[in-house]
This record gives sequence, C-alpha cells and structure tokens, in this order.
Amino acid sequence: MKISRPWLQKFFDAQLPDAKAIAEALTFHAFEIESVENDVLDVKITANRGHDCLSHRGIAKELAAILNIPLSNDRLDTPAELSPHTDRVSVDIREQDLCPRYIAGYIRNVKVGSSPEWLRERLEALGQKSINNVVDATNYVMFHLGQPLHAFDAGKLSDRDGTYAIAVRRANDGEKIVTLDGKEYTLASSMLLITDAHSEMPIGIAGVKGGAPAAIDEDTTDIIIESANFNGVSVRKTSQMLKLRTDASSRFEQVISPEMAAYGMRAVVQRILELAGGELVGFVDEYPKPQQQKTVSVSLEKINRVLGTQFSADDVADVFTRLMFSFSEKDGVFTVQPPFERLDLVIPEDLVEEVGRIIGYDHVAADQLPPISKAPAINQNFYSAERAREDLIAKGYSEVFTSVFAENGDRVVANKVDGVRPFLRSTLVDGLKDAYERNMRTKELLGLKEVRIFEIGTVWKGGTEVTMLGLADTSGVREEEVPIVNAPDHYDNLPVSQAVRYQPFSKYPFIVRDISMWVPDNAQSFTEVVQIFAEHAQGLLRHVDLFDQFQKGDRISYAFHLVFQSFDRTLTDAEVNAIMETISHSVTQKGFEVR
Amino acid sequence: MHRGHLHPISSLIREANRIFFDMGFTFAEGPLVESEWYNFDALNVPKDHPARDMQDTFFIKGEPGMVLRTHTSNVQIRHMEAQLKKGVQPPYRMVTMGKVFRNEATDMTHEAEFFQMEGLVVGEDISLAHLKGTLEHFFRELFKGTNVEIRFRPSFFPFTEPSVEVDMRVVGANAPEKLRDRWIEMMGAGMVHPNVLKNAGVDPEKYQGFAFGMGLDRLALLRWGIDDVRLMHSADLRFVNQF
Repeated sequence: MKISRPWLQKFFDAQLPDAKAIAEALTFHAFEIESVENDVLDVKITANRGHDCLSHRGIAKELAAILNIPLSNDRLDTPAELSPHTDRVSVDIREQDLCPRYIAGYIRNVKVGSSPEWLRERLEALGQKSINNVVDATNYVMFHLGQPLHAFDAGKLSDRDGTYAIAVRRANDGEKIVTLDGKEYTLASSMLLITDAHSEMPIGIAGVKGGAPAAIDEDTTDIIIESANFNGVSVRKTSQMLKLRTDASSRFEQVISPEMAAYGMRAVVQRILELAGGELVGFVDEYPKPQQQKTVSVSLEKINRVLGTQFSADDVADVFTRLMFSFSEKDGVFTVQPPFERLDLVIPEDLVEEVGRIIGYDHVAADQLPPISKAPAINQNFYSAERAREDLIAKGYSEVFTSVFAENGDRVVANKVDGVRPFLRSTLVDGLKDAYERNMRTKELLGLKEVRIFEIGTVWKGGTEVTMLGLADTSGVREEEVPIVNAPDHYDNLPVSQAVRYQPFSKYPFIVRDISMWVPDNAQSFTEVVQIFAEHAQGLLRHVDLFDQFQKGDRISYAFHLVFQSFDRTLTDAEVNAIMETISHSVTQKGFEVR
Repeated sequence: MHRGHLHPISSLIREANRIFFDMGFTFAEGPLVESEWYNFDALNVPKDHPARDMQDTFFIKGEPGMVLRTHTSNVQIRHMEAQLKKGVQPPYRMVTMGKVFRNEATDMTHEAEFFQMEGLVVGEDISLAHLKGTLEHFFRELFKGTNVEIRFRPSFFPFTEPSVEVDMRVVGANAPEKLRDRWIEMMGAGMVHPNVLKNAGVDPEKYQGFAFGMGLDRLALLRWGIDDVRLMHSADLRFVNQF
C-alpha cells in the first residue's frame, strides 16, 4: 500500500524521521518496502496484517511502536459515539453472517463541489483521482483509518413518509447492477447487495463497489453514508467472480474489525461537514453481535524459549506498551487484551513475534543446534540416485533436466496458464529424445564426438509416481527404474561442481570448417598454428578441435575442426570463407604446408 | 572418454545434503502430485484464506483435491507423520530437496517448475537462535573462504509463527560476483506454527521447532551468474557442461 510521509506525520506531535529512515524502520521491524519515491513509501503489507495495516493509521501505529514515539492522534482508545440516533433511515441486515455491522449516517443540505488543494494533493500522492468533496472525504478516511466507506445520494432513493430504508440482502441469480463507473454486472445469489428496501433497487455491491443509481453528483444535497463491515470470504469471492477488485474489496477481504466502522463513520461525517457543509441528522447502527474483547497470554519463559533470547519482563512490557496493548503481568505471565483491530493476535506465538520483531531480530544471537544422539537416516532412493549419477558421469554422460509437462500422458493439469503441454509425462524418453537431437546439432561447439546424456526424474504412469533413469546416446533412448543399491551408514563423498562463473553462450548458428596441414614435428609449431587461428578469426572462433594427427618422417599432419559463431548475428559462409583464406595464407607464410 | 557433467542443481543438492547430514539432518522425500491437505490445510493454510492465493497452483484434472505441490513444505508433515508411525518422537532434523511448481508464465527469472530446499528441526527447546546458527553454518560451508553474514526481517507465512525473511551477505574476494558484498534475500523461515505440529500429530505443548524453505534455482543463478532460469530445464549441454 502507498503511504505518504506527510500524511503519517498527522498522527504524531513529534517530528518523524525522513522517508528513508521510516523505510528502514519498517523493513526490519514490520514490512518489506517496495519503493520510496517523493516521500511516498510503497509498503508490502503481509497477509496477516491486512486487518489493521492497510491504512496510514495502521502504519503510524507500527512506527509509534518501532521508533518509540507516542501516537498523538486517532489513538481510538475511547468508544466512538454515534449520536444522535435517527429514525429517518432504517437498516435491515438480512444476512448477518455476511454483514456483521451496518451503520448509516444521514446528512442534509451538503454542497457538492471540488475538494480543497490539500485533500487533492493527499489523494493524488497515493495515485488516487480527486472526484468531489464528498467522495474524496470517504476515500480520505479509508486511506486514513482503513475503513471503506460509501456515500449514497438520498435524493435518488425512494422515501416513505420521509424515511429511507436500506436492506442488505443476497442478489437474485441474474439480477443486474450498473456500478459507478457505468459498467453493468450480472450477479449471483452468493453475492451480497445493498438495496433501497422500498423499491428493491440495488444501490451497491456490498464491500466492492457502489451503484450508479444512487451516485453523488453536483445536484446532490442529502446523503446517506455507509460505514459497514462485510464478511471477508464473501467479498473476496464476489470480487473474484466479477473480476472487480477495488480499494474497498481488497480491505474487506482481509477481514476488518467491525469496531472500526464506528470510528470511520465519525471521521467521515466530521470531514464532510467541514468540506461540504450540511447538517448531520443522525445515525443508525445495526450491530447484532458486537466484537468480544479477546485475551492472549504468554509467559516470559516461552518468549525466550522460542526466540532463544534472554529478554527481561521489562523488555516485554516495554514492547507491549509501545504497541498500545492493554496487559497485565503476574508471575512472569503476560495477559494481553489486543487492540480491537489487531485480529491477528490469537495465540501465544503471535505475541512472541511481536516481541521479537519490535525489539529486532538482530537481538537474536546465532546458536548452534544441541547435540543429537540419533544418527540421521540414509535415504536409499537418494543414495541410489547419487550412485547412478556418479556411475554415468564416469562413463561420459552428462545430466540434464527436461520438463515434466508433456504432449501426452496419463494425468493432465486442469488449469495450465499457458495452455501448452498440459500432461504430466509418463516417460522420460520423449524429452530425452528431443534433448539428444538438439544437442547433436550443437555438439561441435563443445568439441563432442558424440552426445551422452541422462536424466533422473519423476514420471506418472499407471496411477503411480515413480523416479526413472533415462539415457540417450548413439544406441538410442531408453529408460529404467533407478537401480536401488544398499546404502551404508553415510553418503559417498562424490565430486561437486568446481565451476566459478557461468559463461553465456551464443544463440546464433555456428559454422564448422576443417583445415589440415603438415608442420615440423615440434611443440612450437602446434602453438604457432593455434595462434594463427586466434589472430585471424576476428573473435568468432568458439572452438578448435584437433580431430586427427599422424607423423611421417620429421613432419606431422594435423587436422582441425574450427567452429565459428557470433554472439550478435548469424555468420555467412562468405565471411567464414574469407577468414579461412587468411588463416590458410598465414599458415603457408609460416612455411607450413596446407593439405 | 572424458567424465560427463553433473547438473548444477544436483551439485547444489549434493553439497547441501552433505552439510546438513553432518548436522544430523535426514534427507526426506515427498510426492510431487500432492493432496491439498498436505500442500495447504495441514500447513495451516485454510481454504478461502488469502494466503492460498499467494501461490498459483496447478490442479490435476479429474482428481479433485490433488495439486502439483507448490512448495516442499508437504514433506514437513509427511516426515513427522512417518516418524510418529514408527513410534519415534522428536527430536527431528529433516531436509528435503526437490521439484515444486507454480502456475505462472515463464521468463528469464520465472519457471513453472523449479527446485526448493526445505529444512525442519523439532525438539523441546529449538529456537529462532538455532535457526540463525544453522543457516549461518550452512552458508559458511557452502561459500567456504568467504565471510557470510545472516540477518532476519519480519515476514508472514501461514505455517510459521514468528516468520522471517532471511538475508545473506557474502563478503570477500572469493565471494561469487552476484552475491558479493550486498544483502540478498535468500529464503523464508520461522518457528513452526503450533497448528502444523498438531496436524502432523506432534504435541505443540511439548515440542517446538523451526523450518525454512529456499529456491535452489535462484541460489544457482546467484552463485554462478546464470542469466536465465530456463536454462535449468533446457537440457542443453552448452549450459550443463560448464559445471
């Protein structure tokens, strides 16, 4: 989530450090930072903290704990008063499991217009577009507190005797809604709708997006604000099915505390009255099963046993205080009442993590594992595969891996993203045959006389998953089960790669030319010939292969394959012929005889 | 005939197994086509949890509940179960290395099939400090002749609590070029979530432990300066014969 440093500053009286220092603090104590640009941090909120950290307040609370500076504003440690109550709006939640809370706030006589500069800047810094003062206020509070909000134009709802009625119900299969952006969606009965209960008209897809029929426009005067809580799984499924992901749905699907709805409502009403004027008529709050205060306990002994540390009770108390936890300590056991929005704190280990990360994992010193009496078991399959590898490598075979995905087989993947080769291979032979042929085409580059390859890999045949050993060489391609050998009580000390650095190879075709010659029988003449090759090859000589030599009197005959290849183009015959001519010429000039 | 060449991944697995074996770790295995129970549920990744979306999963047609494993963590559960079935209570030290799958488009840094290494240690007093010590020892053995540092950052995985990202810095002239003198994220790790122990039949009141998981292809890329992860499954000797 995009987090603006000036916005964060609003939560503190004390001056925050610069964005880089904030990024560092979050990185080592809370979340990864994707980027820092112009005082805006892109914070990667982990899946366990979507409950409380998809907002500036959530990040501000983290910083307060990490940097040990008190959160001055929006501490939300006193209940949010939703008064006065109004009877002018009624709310009927027909699916309480999918909508644990729904608050409506009724404001009359607002003046819809553009937002002030500061608000536009705030939203634009996060990559959001300013729409109008009312809509911007709802978005502002969402990014501020994490509570998604929505404003309906009351004038577009039907009223009966001066009252409006909102119902939260499942959509009918095939029911349609046009959303704020003018797109029409066809709904299913698994999806939750916000409707005008008098007319049964859908006015929003619950927790996902508002509907066009009750959209705010410049003629709007009376508004109904929604601050609600929706079931995370339901919102996630609806959003997935409609392929409609919004800032609201991405928050609800992480599961938000229904307590936040009240704070969100208070904050947005205050903001709207300030930006768009009007009078607050009142609130209606449907909240059948209020969230219960949870308690989580952990002992100091457990914290230190899990982390491998020697923290004191004071260290732990300091962390919990900084995190704004209510807690008590007795006989080394901490009993914590987590803040309402910290839905992630459930088991003792969750508190262990809070202590570890806030103090910092740099305080966890490396420790060696204790001695163990049990000797590790030898894995016979792995041991046997390792033996097979070594035996084959000793015989000149190189190990390759080919894909498990194939053109055919007994089992097939249902949802392969690229759609190609969806089967799970039932044999190594097809992949190895292809690999053999491809390597045959490039063997001269490597100076190989022949290609010998093997693969030890999984295949699926006859309803079982088995590891096979496949071989490809001049006598064909074949496979067998990996020969199982009895393992001793240790693994053999087999060689490992001594390679230091991989060298990329050219993807362009190569050209092979042969040259043979008579030279005087001494070591020097061989060196001279190879030097001539290098000198005239214009950096295109990839491989020199002496494939034949024989002696006659005081002369020796050498025959070479020269392999030419460019890293950036396909070589032409003419080019290589020219190189060969200069090489021949040079060899002759040396006084050697080209045959 | 010249000796043939060992695939770089096999070389890494051979080296890693040697280092972990000397620390008392047993090399364990598990199936590649796996049930959702072992791949997700037993690892405390419940259905309908956003974390289940984090991994793009291949499902097997006509076999509901079966997937290509998205990580080697299935072996954690299978190993603990197998031990208990033999009547063996912790301590456990297990390492596993094998192929895993992600249903995503491939490019120079992404492959649909790649290799992971997973470690699990369970005992009465196994701590995060032991995790740090174990990984330090592993990387120091792997990058001999250099100075290896390890650090943890907070993270989240459903199967560990607390969870950490592990960064490594290799310092010294002998350090591989792409790893030298800079902090690089190497793996995810943490203390095994009590639900994972419970799901495997181990008493979380009595035992605790750590687990870690790391991509071997990426380690190979960094160690040897390999520029394209797809080379691993290319079966191209222009690649393999350099190792």
